[in-house]
Amino acid sequence: MTIRVNPQILPDLLASLQASQQNEQNGVQQVSTGRRINKPSDDPAAVAALVNNNAQFSQDAQFQVNLGDLQSRYQVADSVMNSAVQLMTSAISLGAEGANGTLTAANRQTIAAQVAGLQQQMLSLANTSYQGAYIFAGTNVTAAPFSQNPSAPSGVSYNGNSAVTSVQISEGQSIQTNLPGDQIFTNASGNVFGALNDLVNSLNSSTGMDAANTEVQKAFNQLNTQRVFYGDALNQVQSKENFLSQDKINLSQQQTNLVGADLAEAITNLSQAQVTAQATLSATAQVLNLPTLLNYIK
Amino acid sequence: MGTLLSSLNTALQAMQAEQEALSTTTNNIANANTPGYTRQTVSFTETPPVEYAGQLFGTGVGVAQITSQRDSLLQLRLDQETQQQSKFDSFLNSMGQVQTLFNETAGNGLQGPLTAFFNSLQRLSTNPSDTNLRQGVLSASRNLAQSFNNIASSLSQLQQNADLSVTQSVGQINELTSQVAKLNTEISAAQTAGQNPGTFMDQRDQLIKQLSGLVDVSVIGTGNGTVTLTTSSGVALVVGNQSNPLTAQADPTTGFQHIYSLGSDVTSSLTGGALAGALQIRDQTIPTITGALDSLASNLSSSINSVNQAGFDLNGAAGGNFFTVPPPGGTGAAASLHVAITDPAKIAASLNGTPGDNANVSAMLALQNQPIVNGQSPLSAYGNLVFQVGNETSSAQSESTAAQATILQLQNQIGSVSGVSIYEESVNLVQFERAYQAAAQVAGIINTLTATAINLGQSTTAA
Repeated sequence: MTIRVNPQILPDLLASLQASQQNEQNGVQQVSTGRRINKPSDDPAAVAALVNNNAQFSQDAQFQVNLGDLQSRYQVADSVMNSAVQLMTSAISLGAEGANGTLTAANRQTIAAQVAGLQQQMLSLANTSYQGAYIFAGTNVTAAPFSQNPSAPSGVSYNGNSAVTSVQISEGQSIQTNLPGDQIFTNASGNVFGALNDLVNSLNSSTGMDAANTEVQKAFNQLNTQRVFYGDALNQVQSKENFLSQDKINLSQQQTNLVGADLAEAITNLSQAQVTAQATLSATAQVLNLPTLLNYIK
Repeated sequence: MGTLLSSLNTALQAMQAEQEALSTTTNNIANANTPGYTRQTVSFTETPPVEYAGQLFGTGVGVAQITSQRDSLLQLRLDQETQQQSKFDSFLNSMGQVQTLFNETAGNGLQGPLTAFFNSLQRLSTNPSDTNLRQGVLSASRNLAQSFNNIASSLSQLQQNADLSVTQSVGQINELTSQVAKLNTEISAAQTAGQNPGTFMDQRDQLIKQLSGLVDVSVIGTGNGTVTLTTSSGVALVVGNQSNPLTAQADPTTGFQHIYSLGSDVTSSLTGGALAGALQIRDQTIPTITGALDSLASNLSSSINSVNQAGFDLNGAAGGNFFTVPPPGGTGAAASLHVAITDPAKIAASLNGTPGDNANVSAMLALQNQPIVNGQSPLSAYGNLVFQVGNETSSAQSESTAAQATILQLQNQIGSVSGVSIYEESVNLVQFERAYQAAAQVAGIINTLTATAINLGQSTTAA
């Protein structure tokens, strides 16, 4: 005796129709979204990795915004330093002029007035602010760091502090954001305000011109040395910017690898699913139309 | 040799038997597409012979019995597999919704708000005295807290839904078991009367199949045609003509429905069907996910709070709590997370007290990569949670697919025993029809013979 088969073929046919329809839908979804993974259960490990990947990408984007901000700030500071160096250059030539023995005391006082003008300009440069914060005040950024103080040897008093801050510019790497004003303008190894103040006094009194000029030269050198910091920082920002752009490209690539569909493969799968679905449909139609014995009983 | 009249009787019996067979075949064909119908077969048997003139003569045919062709072992396996599949399906139904809360591929979930929060701190570190940037930190933290709240409340809603379906399932189970108990009565009565209780058994099988969709039910045959239904851990649902209804009662601490049978709590012993799936979601899966979320929220907020307290705000005052203090033990932290400060100046970005210092905001930022959540960074802890949700869903999906394939196979096997084949029934139809015609023909012939015999004694006048 032969084994009896299930005479009810419909559930089987329906199940295979459903399966091929499901495959078709998956294929269409992959091709239309370009993604292999559309929910955590599609590939839990890949989606967990995607969490990290997306976070890094967005962190990189934030670093880039910060770098843009830092760059503007460094540029402002650098151009202030540039102007300060030019002021000191003028002071050096005025000092050399004042050292000329043929000048009268009145001539020297005129020059002194010019240097005093430089002093004022220097003071306003040292009190430059960027986005509401004084950039040469250490961390005491809400008050102007330098104010005129005739009783002080340098003619100014420093209201800021010597603190420096640094910010992260990429995972695990920080950059110093500021130089405190006292390090730039009232540094012991080259005091800008002190030198200008002494030069004015020497010119007014026609004494100690050589010493004053040496002092100005020292302050000039010191200013140039400090300026290197901003040049370096700008270079570092630029190279970090390049790194982050590349890193973002890498992260996008990784994201595609994690969740993206291989289009060629997805399209092949889709056509296969379509062929299977059609074959199943036509088989179903044929089976449903098979005659039974009753057709032949007369 | 039998008598003519006894032969006539034999022919009539044969017609009767074939007619019964024809009617069974007709019933089979009529129910070819009835779900749960089990094909019936007729078995003929010779009636006892009579002795006449020292010889035994056959007296014809009778219908011994009408039998439903069923395989109760296969049915049992189908029920068990249905219990598994229904459990996975009910589980998946909820998990499908749970995983949309964490669908990072579509940008849903906590990664965005969490990273945005740390990014806002990052941004503030470049210019800690800038009020706009401080405002940015406040809105990013509010957004983060809101995201925690939303996910926690959606999870709790899904838990409530599962609880509701527990109550509904209990009602359905009670309805089904009471019907099974009634059918038990009918079946044993039919069996006692020597009838085929096939139709009742088909109905009962269908009810048990529905029950299997709801709860793990074991079927124990008792010999007299009735079945005893228990859960797999032995909670009696139907015994003979009695059903034991389950009752649902709210747990005083959790407010969730617990299931009682005859006064004892059987909730944790249920392992199959939609009921077990809903219980698993309600009592295990969602509490685990919420627990992980709470742990993330409470550890993150207490860590940020203690760093904020160590620093100084824009006005040089010591920092306070940044987020509201999480509940002790962390339970409910995700649902209750709020930003405690409203004034952007209160963010303690400075460590030395001056407004331009960013050392404290940098310390807050550093928490991003520190193992502050059970030995993991906040993002890794969250990544693990996403993995866990995805993994539970995908393994339930594979199990459901496997169970579905097994069910299809079992249905085929059951069909091969119990399904109505139109071919087979047509052949039977022709066979019984021909036999009936033959018997009728025989009856006709014997009738003529009998008439001839009766007319033997009369004088026959030629016409």
